Amino acid sequence: MRTTARRAVQVVCVLTTASLLAACGGAGKERPSEDGTAVGVTDSTIKVGAHFPLTGPAAPGYSEIPSGHQAFYEYVNDNGGVHGREIEMVVKDDAYNPTNTSAVTNDMILQDEIFAMVAGLGTPTHRAVVQRLNDDGIPDLFVSSGSLQWGDDPASSPMTFGWQPDYEIEGKIIGQYVKENMPDAKVGLFLQDDDFGEDGEKGARQFLDSQIVDVQKYTPGGSTDFSPQMSSFKSKGVDLVLGFNTPSYTALSQIAAQGVGFKSKWFYSNVGSDPALVGGLLASMTKGKIPAEQGVKLMDGMMTTEYIPGVDAPEDEWVKLWQKVWDEYSKKGSEKLTNYRIYGMSQAYTFVQALQANGKDLTRESIVETIEKEGASFEGPGLAPFRFSEDSHMGISGASVVELKNGASEPLTPVLVTDIGDAEIKEDDSAASDAPPSSGLPE
Amino acid sequence: MQQFLDTTLGGLVLGAVYAAFALALCLIWRSTRIVNFAQAAMAMVTTYIALSLINVDVPYWVAFLAAIAAGFMLGALVERLIIRPVEGKADLNAVILTLGLFMVLHGLTALVFGVQHRGFPAPVSTSAIEVGDTSIGITPFGVLTIVIVAVVMAGLVVLFRFTDLGLRMRASAFNGEVSRLLGVRVGRMLTLGWALAAAVGAVAGLLIAGGDLVNPAFMDPFVIYGFIAAVLGGLDSPIGSVIGGLILGLSLSYVTGYVGEHLAPLVALGILMLVLLVRPSGLFAAAAARRV
Repeated sequence: MRTTARRAVQVVCVLTTASLLAACGGAGKERPSEDGTAVGVTDSTIKVGAHFPLTGPAAPGYSEIPSGHQAFYEYVNDNGGVHGREIEMVVKDDAYNPTNTSAVTNDMILQDEIFAMVAGLGTPTHRAVVQRLNDDGIPDLFVSSGSLQWGDDPASSPMTFGWQPDYEIEGKIIGQYVKENMPDAKVGLFLQDDDFGEDGEKGARQFLDSQIVDVQKYTPGGSTDFSPQMSSFKSKGVDLVLGFNTPSYTALSQIAAQGVGFKSKWFYSNVGSDPALVGGLLASMTKGKIPAEQGVKLMDGMMTTEYIPGVDAPEDEWVKLWQKVWDEYSKKGSEKLTNYRIYGMSQAYTFVQALQANGKDLTRESIVETIEKEGASFEGPGLAPFRFSEDSHMGISGASVVELKNGASEPLTPVLVTDIGDAEIKEDDSAASDAPPSSGLPE
Repeated sequence: MQQFLDTTLGGLVLGAVYAAFALALCLIWRSTRIVNFAQAAMAMVTTYIALSLINVDVPYWVAFLAAIAAGFMLGALVERLIIRPVEGKADLNAVILTLGLFMVLHGLTALVFGVQHRGFPAPVSTSAIEVGDTSIGITPFGVLTIVIVAVVMAGLVVLFRFTDLGLRMRASAFNGEVSRLLGVRVGRMLTLGWALAAAVGAVAGLLIAGGDLVNPAFMDPFVIYGFIAAVLGGLDSPIGSVIGGLILGLSLSYVTGYVGEHLAPLVALGILMLVLLVRPSGLFAAAAARRV
């Protein structure tokens, strides 16, 4: 018995040493140039990676984002790649569990030897790896989350960049709209109990501190019965709920509100408002089941924000481009273009744009420098410009307020642009008129 | 006042669901002296069976009955194929097996049905009932839930207390050897106990899923909460399980509505600790006269 144990220990030691050596060898052989590191880049390929929840409670919707990325990269690759290099994307499932995120990120760094992380999804999940990526000097581009922490302190996370509008400016834009247009509304906040809810509340309170009469929270993955929260709103006389929550929880909060007879106006953050997804869920939960296509009608009158054009605007030049790419390159032809796939393609567009702007000599350091210097002038599908600079790695700077009707969004305001803190909110439609180049490839 | 009423009614419905689940745990405990940690996963499987039927336009109540029948068979199969081989060995063996089964069922369901959230319809309205022009915090589906749980509980009490079959099941669980000497087909009784428990579990799963979203993990919170409810009631008593479930449902509802959702799991564990400290055998267990 004891010899077996000892032998097992020996075996483990040998294996550990071997894998350590392999890891060192792997990293060592690709550290060539004196100006910086270009692990994951060859003359003909660039390998990037990302973690996404492909399974678990956060998977609906979010798991579609990487398919958008991949379709767009294939489109770029078939059109000659970027400076002759084809883009390859490794996608790993973390099931929205930060412990898994660390493990799969480790795999991507050591085994897949990715050049950069692009669009890793989730606030709690990505937070688990942001330090590691920065310590190792790996570019961590365009995180799929609106948390402030990706961009408000480039000194401590120099390699990390946000992409979408952060939850604080979204909260500010929503807050100002409500204050100006519904000054008598009694506001209840329905918040995911993490940075998402916190940042949104911070923004909204700048304008609505005196109008907010109740705050209710939920823990993702916990109880799905929100009757107590809705009862509390009802008793405090709330007539406008601002929800900073993910899509499944939009559906669940609607059902719970019906269940306690709570009637209100609803204003969900962009993240939780996708009409196709939420409408489909609502339809299937209702008595007698109504067809999913009619589910979107259940969301009529809800307000939300919009920062890139979506599937409800098929005539938009960007959406035409996404549709063309998706029709040609989706792996399973039967699946439809969704707002999540458009989100992925829009992010992929920004990444390709950054690679183009960087030029042929690509290193981990140079891509970061390129985005800091030129990112603010990137023209893309975003309705507002990026805020990228040496002092800020925050993403898109604004959004417009919209109301949902029959699954489509009708604008209530022009594009409103601002920044974190007490920066003023200004109307600025300048970036909204950017059209894609005819090739569909960033120039 | 309105909030208190709404929160109380909501808590009662939630409690009824915990109670249904605790009943299933209690049944297996009564008939085999095993805590079945796979109960939630088994109920999840039968709920998915019902959902698949509903999605091909089978009427709700037919799917409901089919899920119960599937639960009955699943319970019997699990007892025969998985629990029977370790019978007579340490109790822990069977408990660990149920934990393993929990993981296997989780994985298999994810493979077969996918992991995405799907809506599960309710047979009756999930909108609040209106009295005059105010709505009260309970839905027709909530009322239905409470009624179904009450019927199931009454049925189990009658079975165990007033029928010959119930007596034989209890005897088999209490002392298999003596029961065998007295002519009870102990093996069959154990299988029946598991089958009945899984059928009750299936009912709980369907009530939890109605008007809600399901995914392979949707029953996971009930592993803990159902267990707490059952232990509150003493694991041995169907009525105790129901009252345990109601206490837990009400407490969680009040805490979520008045204090904050993040404290709910802590409070549940607090209640469990308190009961175990004050009455280790549960609120409704008969006092043990003598332990040998």
